[in-house]
Amino acid sequence: MAVLLPTTIDETLAALAATPAALVLAGGTDVMVDVNEGRRRPEHVVCLRRVETLRARSVENGTLVLGAATTYTELLEPEIAAVAPAITDAARTVGSPQIRNAGTIGGNLATASPAGDTLPVLLALGASVEIDGPAGRRRIALQDFLVGPKRSALEPGDLMIAVRIPIRRGPQEYLKVGTRNAMVIAVASLALVVDLDARTVGIGLGSVGPTAFLAAAAAEWLTPRLVWADDRVSLPQAADAATFAGLVAAAAQPIDDHRSTARYRTHAIEVMASRALRRAVQFGAPHRAAT
Amino acid sequence: MPGSILGTAVVRVEDPDLLTGRANFVDDLPISGVLHLTFVRSPVAHARVRSVDMADARAMPGVVAVFAAEDLGLPPYQGLMVLNPACERQPLATDKVRFVGDAVAVIAAESRAAAIDAAEAVVVDYDELPPAIDPERALAPDAPLQFEALGTNRAAAMHAGSDDDVLAGSDVVVRGRFENQRIAVMPMEASAIAVVPGDDGNGHDLTVYVSTQMPHGVANKLSETLGLPVETIRVIAPHVGGAFGGKPGLAAEHLVAVGVARHLGRPVKWIETRSENLVAMPHGRGQVQYVELGCKHDGTIVGLRLRIVGDAGAYAGFGGALALGPTRIMAQGVYRIPAISFDAAVAVTNTTPMGAFRGAGRPEAAALLERIVDLAADELDIDPVDMRRRNFLQPSDFPFTTVVGTTYDSGDYEAALNEALRHAGYDELRAEQRQRRMRGDRWQLGIGVSAYVEVTAGGAGSEFASVTIDTDGGATIRVGTSAHGQGHATSFAMIVADRLGIAMDQVRFVQSDTSEVPRGGGTGGSRSLQLAGNAVVGAADLVLERARQLAAQLLEANPDDIVMTDDGRLAVAGVPASALSWERVAAAAADANEPLAAEFDFRQEGATFPFGAHVAVVEIDVDTGAVRLLRHIAVDDCGRILNPLLVAGQQHGGIAQGVAQALWEQYVYDEQGNPLTSNLADYGMPSAAELPSFETLNTETPTPLNGLGAKGIGESGTIGSMPAVQNAVIDGLSYLGVRHIDMPCSPQRVWSAIRDARAGTLPPVWREPPPVFNSTRDTAGAGVAAEAADDIDI
Ligand SMILES: Cc1cc2nc3c(=O)[nH]c(=O)nc-3n(C[C@H](O)[C@H](O)[C@H](O)COP(=O)(O)OP(=O)(O)OC[C@H]3O[C@@H](n4cnc5c(N)ncnc54)[C@H](O)[C@@H]3O)c2cc1C
Repeated sequence: MAVLLPTTIDETLAALAATPAALVLAGGTDVMVDVNEGRRRPEHVVCLRRVETLRARSVENGTLVLGAATTYTELLEPEIAAVAPAITDAARTVGSPQIRNAGTIGGNLATASPAGDTLPVLLALGASVEIDGPAGRRRIALQDFLVGPKRSALEPGDLMIAVRIPIRRGPQEYLKVGTRNAMVIAVASLALVVDLDARTVGIGLGSVGPTAFLAAAAAEWLTPRLVWADDRVSLPQAADAATFAGLVAAAAQPIDDHRSTARYRTHAIEVMASRALRRAVQFGAPHRAAT
Repeated sequence: MPGSILGTAVVRVEDPDLLTGRANFVDDLPISGVLHLTFVRSPVAHARVRSVDMADARAMPGVVAVFAAEDLGLPPYQGLMVLNPACERQPLATDKVRFVGDAVAVIAAESRAAAIDAAEAVVVDYDELPPAIDPERALAPDAPLQFEALGTNRAAAMHAGSDDDVLAGSDVVVRGRFENQRIAVMPMEASAIAVVPGDDGNGHDLTVYVSTQMPHGVANKLSETLGLPVETIRVIAPHVGGAFGGKPGLAAEHLVAVGVARHLGRPVKWIETRSENLVAMPHGRGQVQYVELGCKHDGTIVGLRLRIVGDAGAYAGFGGALALGPTRIMAQGVYRIPAISFDAAVAVTNTTPMGAFRGAGRPEAAALLERIVDLAADELDIDPVDMRRRNFLQPSDFPFTTVVGTTYDSGDYEAALNEALRHAGYDELRAEQRQRRMRGDRWQLGIGVSAYVEVTAGGAGSEFASVTIDTDGGATIRVGTSAHGQGHATSFAMIVADRLGIAMDQVRFVQSDTSEVPRGGGTGGSRSLQLAGNAVVGAADLVLERARQLAAQLLEANPDDIVMTDDGRLAVAGVPASALSWERVAAAAADANEPLAAEFDFRQEGATFPFGAHVAVVEIDVDTGAVRLLRHIAVDDCGRILNPLLVAGQQHGGIAQGVAQALWEQYVYDEQGNPLTSNLADYGMPSAAELPSFETLNTETPTPLNGLGAKGIGESGTIGSMPAVQNAVIDGLSYLGVRHIDMPCSPQRVWSAIRDARAGTLPPVWREPPPVFNSTRDTAGAGVAAEAADDIDI
């Protein structure tokens, strides 16, 4: 087995171009589990640990750009929490301190597990993924990147460079149900993002389908029923909340496994949809609190 | 005399080494030329082994040897006890594999990495057979057989107690089918062994370093199994990172490691990985309990009928015997129960063999009793506390022999419960519960109560200790117990300090080495302080006796006039100036060519019965079924307390493991016998984030059976907490009509119960037990296992 330790993005791309079958290793928190269990036997490994530029974080024209090798611990930084609080919330629920120190956002997306904690949030935020490789540099909307259960749009030789996240002004929620408080894979998860400027709502769901996905129909149903102000959004008919939660739950296509039953997962999504909405949106006539 | 050190909170002398990483565990030992072992384990639950192709593996770099069963020719493996001799286990599987994880071959290589790689290159041809995974279904007549020659999967069965209808005369009978689920033992350090074959220059032909609770047990079993004189085997347990019943002597892999080392004439070691540990180390619990309790209208218990299915796992693991042993002998619990009828049937299943886990059969007894008593209280509309008070055995009843023939030494069950309720503020909690219910809060309150009694030092009842006064005036203690986290170095040094006035930092502690300690039963079943502690007392007293004679000679006085001074020297009474140091007395003994030392084997006339009462307070989110443990109050009575710090430590750790079983942990297989929870991401072991700080208290009811008045504390926390927490969850939902939820009370199960209660579709708590119990009364030969199980001491 050969391990390459490039230090720049160009070197990395060159290494991958030379051996497209090479395995990209970021934090290794998914890869090493597979290797230990004999599910993967890499002949060539390209390690991202020394590529500092892949961990760059910046804001460009209202877009938060996170290098693909940004770790969960780095996602907890106040600068990120200030512009994308749901990402920080999601990062905080991942694994343990050790896993958060090693695991990366790029690895989470490339693994494309339906339970990946950043996925529902990034979907709800409308994020896209920047990729370079044999087919050239390109951007793919996240929902198109997640092509199937544990399958992404990455092709052999591709490197994920960054995740691009529109900065949205307004409430953001990430809720996760699991079997314990720490070190837990989501049994069901939900992100809700309100954009007060664009006057849109995004709802991402995790662990209730073959991939994480957007509950688009529920969001479409909800948006016209909201009353928008500059600094808040309200739902005049509180009863609409239940219908909304039901629509979100209807979008779920969960399965039974040893962590939970499909029925419980659907129920959990419904409860979380209603809770997230209650936190993000003011219920009742808008003028009452608008003083 | 200054006040005794006994009963005071002395900090642990073993902690500095552990906390600074100076302590050595098996994997840390520098053994030159050591080979690394890796097992090739079955990926299927039940199959015939057609062939094992080791050629590729043998050719791999770094590989020294690869062995299948016939290459080593080892005798069959025997665990702590034999439940059924027809279910013999070969240390490496021969004709069949019987669980996922069953070892088929072993690699010895120069590095661990080489061994792991080679294990993957061994090709085993399996002819898959249908497995029997669920213990109840394994007992059905058409179930696939694990041992064809046995003709059944029933490894053992028995009937005990009354032959009559024990429920006759009841006004009300409550019935429940309870699952006490299979859980993993999960010590922080998994299994580990290093074997050095050949002459050590000190008369040993075999030196074994092993992570175990019972070094002498390992030596004895190796001697029996391999036909080697026991004095040629030296077994050492270095620091051991926890055991919890999972390391009770020789494991099958240990036997293989010894076989390989002797075959190659080279040192080897096997350090188990975590995922391997989750399939290879015996699991605990695993009972399905059919419980019927008859009562009068006022709550007075009339009779108890128990039918229990035990899971023995593959090869009739000894854990299957716990249903026949500890669960049966503790079946009466803390209550006055005029008649008990007990039947148990134990199944072999194609799962990891069952063994012991903290409490080993007693938590299962306490759990079924505390659940059925709550069900009865609910049925009769009596407060669960009153229900218990109406039926408790009373202090004047002791010593008390139960209807299943167990003799309890001492107890005051109501006092412990009263103390727990007082500390918890029971009435206020109930008031808050009512308020939350009236308000229709999302977070409802559940209050669970348990009262338990358990049995400790129930095995052979004897233990060795010696005390030697060293030439520097310090003392060396040797004991046959084998602490692995409990703090014996501290407790036993406290005893010597108390008896002989030697400062604790001058007391040396020797354990866990069969060449240094002539005999010993190891540590398990919460036996150590009461047996070894009292042996240390006995040895120290003999030393003092001899020292007084020596001092009397030196001081030309009568031995009866020699006393110990406040500063720990020996003097003629009233003449402190005459005082002699221990150093001086030891020198005199050495001059007389008879070192100042004594051995003592303490034998206890029977087991002791610790008891207590716990109160758990939980909050339940009725929208999601999430449960939060808010408070846990434990009053555990382990007789007289020698070191309250160590007792509290045992309570905290024990409670955490009981709570974990009640709320999170369960080892799950799919229908094919694939383990679904074989890593820590999937297995629901909690962390500090799930647990509040526990409120631990004690009452002290000394046992008359030993001089220290001590009973065991190692397992009490687990036994008391598990039913209290389960009861709390169910209590929190009782207003909806929920009467039972099996453990673990996961959010999904709790929510399902809420949903079903609201829809009026709650499943019944009872169903008829399987037909296997039609014949348990006339099972011949079952008594053998039952008697052996009586002596079990893990
Ligand atoms: C104990 C434990 C707990 C965990 N808990 C959680 C949890 O709570 N929530 C959760 O969502 N996940 C959890 N995980 C999974 C894992 O930590 C995350 O998915 C993590 O984000 C993976 O990132 P990584 O950098 O470690 O990826 P790696 O393991 O290094 O890589 C994962 C995959 O991504 C590819 N990859 C990585 N970076 C790039 C790139 N820049 N370009 C192209 N391909 C790339 C790799 O080739 C590989 O296929 C847990 C894992 C463990 C072991």
